[in-house]
Amino acid sequence: MARIGVFVCHCGTNIAGVVSIPAVLEAAKKMPGVVVAADDKYSCSDPGQAHIRAVIEQNKLNRVVIGSCSPRMHEFTFRKVMVKAGLNPYFLEVANIREQVSWVHSNDKEKATAKAIDHVMIAVAKVARDEALFPKRVPLTKRALVIGAGITGIQAALDIASAGHPVTLVEREASIGGHMAQLDKTFPTLDCSACILTPKMVEVAQHPNITLLTYSEVRQVSGFVGNFDVEIVKKARKVDSKKCTGCGVCWLKCPEKVPAEFNEGLGTREAIYVPFPQAVPLVPRVDLENCRYIKYLEYMPGKTPGKRPMQCRICEKLCPVQALDWEQQDEVVKEKFGAIVVATGYKTFDPSVCGEYGGGKLPDVISGLQLERMFNSSGPTGGEVLRPSDGTHPKTVVLVSCVGSRDEQRGRPYCSKICCMYTAKQTILLKEHDPEVQCYVFYIDIRTGGKDYEEFARRAQEEYGALYLRGRISRIYEDGKQLVVLGEDSLMGRPVEIRADMVVLATGVEANEGAAELAQTMKLSHDVYDFLTEAHPKLKPVETQTDGILVAGACVGPKDIPECVAQGGAAAAKVSALFSQEMLTSDPMVASVDNARCIGCLLCVQVCPYKAIDTQVLRNGRTVAVVNESLCRACGLCPAVCRPKAVNLRGFTNQQLLAEVNALWQ
Amino acid sequence: MESLDKQIRDKARELLTSGAFACVMGYERATDGKTARPLFAYTPEEAERFVFDQYCTHNLARYLINWRDNKKSVGIVAKPCDTRAINLLINEKQIDRSKLYVIGVACQGIMEVGWGAPTEKLELRCNTCSEPNPVLHDLLVGEFKSESPAAAKAYADVAAIEGKSAEERDGFWQEHFSRCIRCYACRQSCVGCYCQECFVDELDPLWVGIKVAPAENTVWHTIRAFHLAGRCISCNECERVCPVDIPLSLLNRKLEKDGLELFQFQAGMDASVTPPFATFKKGEKLGTGD
Ligand SMILES: Cc1cc2nc3c(=O)[nH]c(=O)nc-3n(C[C@H](O)[C@H](O)[C@H](O)COP(=O)(O)OP(=O)(O)OC[C@H]3O[C@@H](n4cnc5c(N)ncnc54)[C@H](O)[C@@H]3O)c2cc1C
Ligand code: SF4
Ligand code: SF4
Repeated sequence: MARIGVFVCHCGTNIAGVVSIPAVLEAAKKMPGVVVAADDKYSCSDPGQAHIRAVIEQNKLNRVVIGSCSPRMHEFTFRKVMVKAGLNPYFLEVANIREQVSWVHSNDKEKATAKAIDHVMIAVAKVARDEALFPKRVPLTKRALVIGAGITGIQAALDIASAGHPVTLVEREASIGGHMAQLDKTFPTLDCSACILTPKMVEVAQHPNITLLTYSEVRQVSGFVGNFDVEIVKKARKVDSKKCTGCGVCWLKCPEKVPAEFNEGLGTREAIYVPFPQAVPLVPRVDLENCRYIKYLEYMPGKTPGKRPMQCRICEKLCPVQALDWEQQDEVVKEKFGAIVVATGYKTFDPSVCGEYGGGKLPDVISGLQLERMFNSSGPTGGEVLRPSDGTHPKTVVLVSCVGSRDEQRGRPYCSKICCMYTAKQTILLKEHDPEVQCYVFYIDIRTGGKDYEEFARRAQEEYGALYLRGRISRIYEDGKQLVVLGEDSLMGRPVEIRADMVVLATGVEANEGAAELAQTMKLSHDVYDFLTEAHPKLKPVETQTDGILVAGACVGPKDIPECVAQGGAAAAKVSALFSQEMLTSDPMVASVDNARCIGCLLCVQVCPYKAIDTQVLRNGRTVAVVNESLCRACGLCPAVCRPKAVNLRGFTNQQLLAEVNALWQ
Repeated sequence: MESLDKQIRDKARELLTSGAFACVMGYERATDGKTARPLFAYTPEEAERFVFDQYCTHNLARYLINWRDNKKSVGIVAKPCDTRAINLLINEKQIDRSKLYVIGVACQGIMEVGWGAPTEKLELRCNTCSEPNPVLHDLLVGEFKSESPAAAKAYADVAAIEGKSAEERDGFWQEHFSRCIRCYACRQSCVGCYCQECFVDELDPLWVGIKVAPAENTVWHTIRAFHLAGRCISCNECERVCPVDIPLSLLNRKLEKDGLELFQFQAGMDASVTPPFATFKKGEKLGTGD
């Protein structure tokens, strides 16, 4: 027999000021199964909790209803009271008579009281049908996977590793570093990017807890928090990284030259190469698309018509340690991880779709990243700012902000956040490289939120003489050796025409290549621009809807380095907190399948957004569905599609829900 | 060409002789000498009794469920609408295609059999049939038709009901449902009604009152129709077996029509297509279009 106790909380005057507590208590006493009804000024307070516990014990209650605030607030608190009173914590129902009653019906006390009684009645009907539930404990693998080794991923990996947990850091490119490795100096302090990044890269390579997998990609992720099964493809470099010493003779002598991606297409690299001199690991990879020997090998079997490629293999001849391994194949690594940090970063907007800026055809219209590479002394121009067309030093430079940002028409309505600051930085660096340079900046707004940011942007104008013009550019075209930039100065309300030697487009931030696909393999959600979605924009900035998977850095949205580092560290802190547990407890209020009813149609398997439902074969040969309790998020989709009602949400079973409805109709 | 009967008997005999098959289901002549009744042949000898003609009315796919967990294979003689039913069962993992041999019959239409009296009139389902050829078969017998003569008027009767006012429709169904005696013949004949325990039989929770009364009957038929939404393959067996002549197919075909209009989906046409219930595509229409 259910012995139900009803407790009604005044919540100071929050509830009692509107709802008549004596009326609710009076009504509750008459409800079926109710043995006692009592009230408290604040049920959640220490005396309130002690009172509830005492009443439970005195009256030998086995079910409890608390009429109070939303269960989101204090259900957990009251469950603990249940445990202390020796009851299963799930024999509790919270009737929300604050948010759903007193707060919203303060103008009609009578009806509010009636509604509060209804809420309590529903809860009483349900609680009689509550079942004892027990959380499960599952073991966890204390090893983390970090995907993407830009500054964010590097920071996350280092912090997790330093907390004493093994980390596998997977990077798609041949070296770690990400975009930060491409930058020259960084705002707002103008310290050299390499000087602050390289030590961290080296630390990653040397950290005993970090396994670095470069030129590798995550192919498949299954499982759940504490127990993810991940497949990583290590792509063939054709160079044995155990033998290679990074002496560099192969890439010095390789005759094949192709545009260098790391230098944003300025200058060339070889067919066997490291992206940049400080690369970690310093092991080259053979570019299978451009290597002459590979082309030869591909040509040989079919002998397709056309010129026979040369069978070069110079690198193999010169390599002092015979590191070249033409037989090397892609390798699949399968490993278990307890947590995953996604830090796959961003890419920059491709301005070639913008006809007004020359559509990528004018050689002296370059991107911000290209300028970063020019500033860099190990870059394609050896640290000189040169016009790509004729190699001369530009004297008049126009910088255009918001290229591919805040542009509804091109489907990029958001602000890329970093461009205002890097544009200001670049005007300073241009002036420092050549004091004769005059910079003009076209902007919509100057956004400099951040510590020391506004001061920095002011310095660009006041100390370094950059002229800021508010307005958009209408057209850029070539006239002789120069570029004519037509725009408008919207503050002065007049058109402007500037004859420039070079134009720098501050291209915006976009979701990285493959971000959406990667999100789908991990069942993460992403927004319409393919940026990954955090669990809560303010309170859970690095968590996701999937427990154990964290997101950090520019893959969530435009971010500068300080924010990326903070997020990398935040994600690491969450991983460490997770790994501080010996076992994980899983919420018992999830879906479960009644084998006797299940007809094995597996519609639930198809609708479950978390892939939480699997199949099992019973001893009599019947196939039925089975819920993986650690994966289930209790979304409730499967009970909705299950015709024989074999799958139920624990704590919200059909019997419980129908009891609630019936109580209302009585 | 060899007669249909001979082709079916030859194949059934071959299957049963092979030893891999537990049973072949088809039709034999009924005792009235004119109509047909189901035959479950377990031995090669029994296979000699198979016939096929325009009185082979039953949808035998209903019985496939009984073989779901059997290790041996089964064979079945299936009309086009029956093959859609088989596809439904494959899609819902109730039968394993590899353990099934389908003798598909290109159909000439089935004649109505009233209370014991065979007629020369085509059944309703044949007048509204949109697929006169088996959508699935291992062996095809009969003449393959290139076009469905009835497809055009497939939903004419549904559209007629849709055209009525809400009050008229309510009156129409109340009249019909009030006659229901809750014998559940519709459920027993339905290929989609294979739950271990039907909601109507459940006592806790009691979804439908036990009383045979208009309100309870309405709940029964409405929920059954919803459980068949996106699944009914319009064989009309429910309507055929109803002893009080409730036009159940109107209800089910209304849902089929909606499925076609909203999701371009018709159950049983292709076993590999995920039903609309289990998919969400961007740009899909919501609601019923009213
Ligand atoms: C021109 C320019 C100048 C800038 N200047 C500054 C500045 O001065 N100061 C400042 O604070 N910020 C600056 N920024 C911003 C800065 O670049 C970013 O804030 C920072 O680099 C983002 O780091 P991240 O690690 O999140 O992403 P990224 O640097 O993009 O790193 C992501 C990494 O993940 C890898 N990856 C991607 N997908 C996968 C995958 N599927 N599997 C495995 N690996 C993957 C990528 O290869 C990459 O290595 C500038 C940006 C630009 C464009
Ligand atoms: S074989 Fe020749 S082209 Fe290929 S990597 Fe070696 S040196 Fe370069
Ligand atoms: S409740 Fe939702 S998450 Fe849980 S098994 Fe069912 S469909 Fe999957």
